[in-house]
Amino acid sequence: MVVIIDYGMGNLASVLKAVNSLKIEAIITSDKKEIQDASLIILPGVGSFEQGIKNLKERGLIELLNEEVIQKKKPFLGICLGMQLIMEQGNEPKPCRGLGWIKGKVEAIQNTRLPVPHLGWNKTYQPKEKNQEDTLSNNFYFIHSFHVIPDEEVKCTYVDYEFTMVASIQKKNIFATQFHPEKSQEAGLSLLKTYIDSNA
Amino acid sequence: MLKVRLIPVMTFNGISLVKTKQFASSRTVGNPIQVARVYNSRNVDELVFIDIKASEQNRKINLSLVKKVIDECFMPVTIGGGIKTFEDINDLLRIGADKVLIKTMALEDPDFIVKAVEYFGSQCISIAVDVIFENGEYWIHQKNNDKLLMEIFIDKMNQCNVGELVISAVHNDGMMMGYDYNLYQKVTQLTSKPVVAVGGAGTPSHFIQLMQTDYNGALAAASIYHFTQFTPQEVKTTLKNAQIPVRI
Repeated sequence: MVVIIDYGMGNLASVLKAVNSLKIEAIITSDKKEIQDASLIILPGVGSFEQGIKNLKERGLIELLNEEVIQKKKPFLGICLGMQLIMEQGNEPKPCRGLGWIKGKVEAIQNTRLPVPHLGWNKTYQPKEKNQEDTLSNNFYFIHSFHVIPDEEVKCTYVDYEFTMVASIQKKNIFATQFHPEKSQEAGLSLLKTYIDSNA
Repeated sequence: MLKVRLIPVMTFNGISLVKTKQFASSRTVGNPIQVARVYNSRNVDELVFIDIKASEQNRKINLSLVKKVIDECFMPVTIGGGIKTFEDINDLLRIGADKVLIKTMALEDPDFIVKAVEYFGSQCISIAVDVIFENGEYWIHQKNNDKLLMEIFIDKMNQCNVGELVISAVHNDGMMMGYDYNLYQKVTQLTSKPVVAVGGAGTPSHFIQLMQTDYNGALAAASIYHFTQFTPQEVKTTLKNAQIPVRI
């Protein structure tokens, strides 16, 4: 069973709808037992970093997630804020510690030319393969004002918006996307299906 | 590179989908759920759904119908109509709306917008800026005929840190004679927020003409998809052939 973590931050219904449309069973929950029994954990989320960490803490989810994802190595998918929260440090609205599963920080997009938030469909790519299309390199829907800057060797895809930002990140059993696969039509559904089928 | 967003607009009167001309004389254009399903299959980049009578008739938007519309969509959806409280916003986000579109409250109580942005995040608060061109100026279109210059209202919304401005040219609504190109060039100088242009597109060349100006926002339209043979996909292909970045 796939669990979608309910911590009061954003678009859980959309994620559930997308996963269900792939004929994959999933539940929205913050229940300890259900998360322990899960085969794969999805942490979605829209909103500010500090509020996200605060909500996880209040629900006793930080220790539980550490246990399941870091100690037991359960497959994990973070989406948008759910990707940012796994970094060591956030800055929204002020400096704040994150889950720290990946070294690095989350900083505001500081563009001079293009509007912030980075909003709309943009092409992701793997290093040195800008024009290739595959499950991870496609047009996905982004909406964010902060971006992650990893400080260790991890597998990333990138996206260009005035400068180059990390679009997705992978380290062992942890995979996370800055974009919203659940809102990215065929490209997003295919990515969700591939990740869940090969990990859950 | 970020793609130009192509966005169909669905206007609903509480009973069926309608298409207005200059915000009046509406024509029925079908069932919202079926239309949403077709747009999803056409790979549109986003969808906007507005109950245009909710505020006027002082009623809430029909959540069970809106949920059925959203359930057809695997792209972002913006919902507007009669939003007056945090509970209204919450109700829409809970059934899967990505953004809410607010007009009346933005005009009556900008402080409500400031609080909504703080609470829900700017990414989900879009503002409807309906403008009319009169005596050489762009004015906000209001039921009570109050006079408010567009510049003043946009400046206020910039200060409220809203996520997006959906700017409709009322004088061009349903006319299918092209966007108001001057309006959107002007708007580009007034805000650094993402902008959605609505009103006047009747042929694929109208979209290209707008993108050949300084405007770099999203392209929304309704009549062209209801009343001509052009589908959103065909419009995108035309844009692509004109070297404008779109998601095919």
